[in-house]
Amino acid sequence: MSLPALLIYSFLYLYPSIQNLLYSFTRWDGVTKPQYIGFRNFTYMLSNDVLFRKILGNNIKFTLFVVIFQTAFSLIFAIFLAKNSKGNIFFRTLFFFPTILSSVSVGLMWTFLYNPNYGFLNAAFKAIGLDNLAVNWLGDSRYSLLAVAITQVWFHTGQMVVIYVAGLQQIPQELYEAAEVDGATRWQQFKSVTWPMALPTTAVVVAYTTIQSFRAFDLIYSMTQGGPLNSSDLLVTNIFNLAFVGYKFGYAAAQTIFLVIMILLITWLQRRTLKIDYGVKS
Amino acid sequence: MKINKNQIGLVAALVTALVISPLTIARAADTPTLGRACSAEGANTGTSTDSLVCKSVGGKLIWQKVRLGANYGTPVSALRAPKGTIEFHHWRPEDKAVFQTIIDKFQDANPGTTINQVIMSSVDYTNLAYSKINTNKKAAVFVTSRGGQFDQFYKGGLLKDISDQRYMKQNVIQSALTPATVSGKVYGLPYQSLFNNPIYNADMFAKNGWKVPTTWTQLLSFCKTAKSAGIIPFAWPAATRGNAGQILNSFLMNADSNYATMAAHVAAIDTGKEDLQTDWFKSIANKYKAMNDAGCFPANVTGYNDTAAPADFAAGKAAIYPTGSFGISTVTKLNPAMSGKIKMFGMITTDSKPLYEGITNNTFILSVNAKASSTDQKIANAFISWLATPAMAQLYAVGTSQHVSIINVDYSANVDLLNVSDIMGKKLLLAPRFLFNNVNGVRNPLEDALIAIGGGADVNKTLADTSKTIKSNLGA
Repeated sequence: MSLPALLIYSFLYLYPSIQNLLYSFTRWDGVTKPQYIGFRNFTYMLSNDVLFRKILGNNIKFTLFVVIFQTAFSLIFAIFLAKNSKGNIFFRTLFFFPTILSSVSVGLMWTFLYNPNYGFLNAAFKAIGLDNLAVNWLGDSRYSLLAVAITQVWFHTGQMVVIYVAGLQQIPQELYEAAEVDGATRWQQFKSVTWPMALPTTAVVVAYTTIQSFRAFDLIYSMTQGGPLNSSDLLVTNIFNLAFVGYKFGYAAAQTIFLVIMILLITWLQRRTLKIDYGVKS
Repeated sequence: MKINKNQIGLVAALVTALVISPLTIARAADTPTLGRACSAEGANTGTSTDSLVCKSVGGKLIWQKVRLGANYGTPVSALRAPKGTIEFHHWRPEDKAVFQTIIDKFQDANPGTTINQVIMSSVDYTNLAYSKINTNKKAAVFVTSRGGQFDQFYKGGLLKDISDQRYMKQNVIQSALTPATVSGKVYGLPYQSLFNNPIYNADMFAKNGWKVPTTWTQLLSFCKTAKSAGIIPFAWPAATRGNAGQILNSFLMNADSNYATMAAHVAAIDTGKEDLQTDWFKSIANKYKAMNDAGCFPANVTGYNDTAAPADFAAGKAAIYPTGSFGISTVTKLNPAMSGKIKMFGMITTDSKPLYEGITNNTFILSVNAKASSTDQKIANAFISWLATPAMAQLYAVGTSQHVSIINVDYSANVDLLNVSDIMGKKLLLAPRFLFNNVNGVRNPLEDALIAIGGGADVNKTLADTSKTIKSNLGA
């Protein structure tokens, strides 16, 4: 029964992955024959590539910001919207709405909002007297990464709210009732009931958000193309530029391997930190 | 002494003759006439088979018949296409309707032949066209851009040699073929003749009594004047690297006293023999800074993209839109009232006698897919020959506000094309920005650095940081 699935998986995922691994040991321009160079792509990437280090730093900052704020906002919204009232369903739909938009549309929309001279955001800041906050969001290397990270949080929070709501609705109501009987405040209820019971959902949200933030290619591409001066470049945009603009397919493959290992490592660490046991017995 | 009416008439006629004759003689001397003396070497009267060019003969400058094609022959008709269906891949969604009109006419002339347009955005096309076309034999006719992309397709064996086609010799301006020529063989027809020079609002200049700057000092002075009048002097779309990089052409064209030295510096940077901290490159970077200091650019220019820039220019908020002839159609679409008010000037960045007066580029290189079937190649070749006929080229040029590299095209039906045509008579340089072959590793970070400096970043720090990035990129 599982053979067709295995064949499809091998053809669509395993074969390209192995091919990518093989290319990572080559110098290849995508046109001529690949030339085997051993681990040179990896040693160069980890020891000499200044841009790679800068972009890796961007990626870590971006991921930290997105994971922290997206998880926090989605949990807060989910707590308020967990009950199935008409109003809550309306707001859940409203928050989920950005998720159905194409990422390029979201990127363009936020590019207009961030426009330093005509954008809504700066106009709003100026209107309420916060002129010092009216900055050159996408054109200044100090703010461009933050600006894209905010957009990413706005774009995906609704999706995570839905996951959290599903998780919170599984928490037995009796636990809250027992806590109320014991005289627990709302904060104590959150600390002792909601948070521990929502941990498995949090693990899913955090892992998914982490992977999403490492794959935020289209948003970066449509908003800043990695600029100014690579200040908003992420590993995925750099890999794309290396391969399809610089025709360094071998080196791009090596960075892809690094990216995959890093995501696996971070996800494993997150699971360890949140002490998640899915109950799977070997 | 009495003066009668006849005498008065005689004197009046004499005076009139004395005034008019020299004017007529002077006018006749200025009018380009075959065999007569001319004053500006290289100036020409157009791109028709009866056009004249000012050339030196025995030390004297004389108007001579221009030879635009490989010979003095007139353009030939298009080839017949066999029956079949092929794809035409290109990156200009804005030209879709015009191309469809041309394709419909081609299909009417060749019953049973179908050409389907496959269009990507220019960014996607740059990144993905090779892999898509390389695996699609039905993509029998496609375009490439000058430089890296053309080289990639050539190396991949996708370009068929079309040097011997008659239409290539008699319908195409031969000087335009350079970007598609490798070792004497021609692998494509660079269809568009672009002029990557700033366009300006001639109406605004006239109303304000401004003169088009012809020296570096005048340019900076103009910026101050325009800014004090509440006008954005240069609507420079610095947030969009592709268009922001166009002015680099102007900075490079007069960056040295001769072309060879400039090209040598570019090659040295491209290969890592020189970094961006040399005096030569720093002098270019300092000029970006000087433009910023003189108020040439709008506020927050590094966040100012190619949506805001043409919109400001079209709305009369900006005096100059420094991209090129290809920007005209965008502006006139935004504000049709701008049509006829747009002119072009060569951006001179020196106070010495300029080596070049403007920039040109031949791109949108039409090629036949060498991996397509022979029937599909014949259809593709016939379609390119169809596009190379003066009638179809004129349809394309007028419909898209683009100059083309085809002989005997009349631009008078499009006032904007006509208005920028006078740049063709100047001493133009083939866009030097494309001398950088390493786009991702060198040109992009270099242009990013200049954009940052144009936005007010520190020259020395930016060039030092970017030099490190480029060095690292070249080592990868």
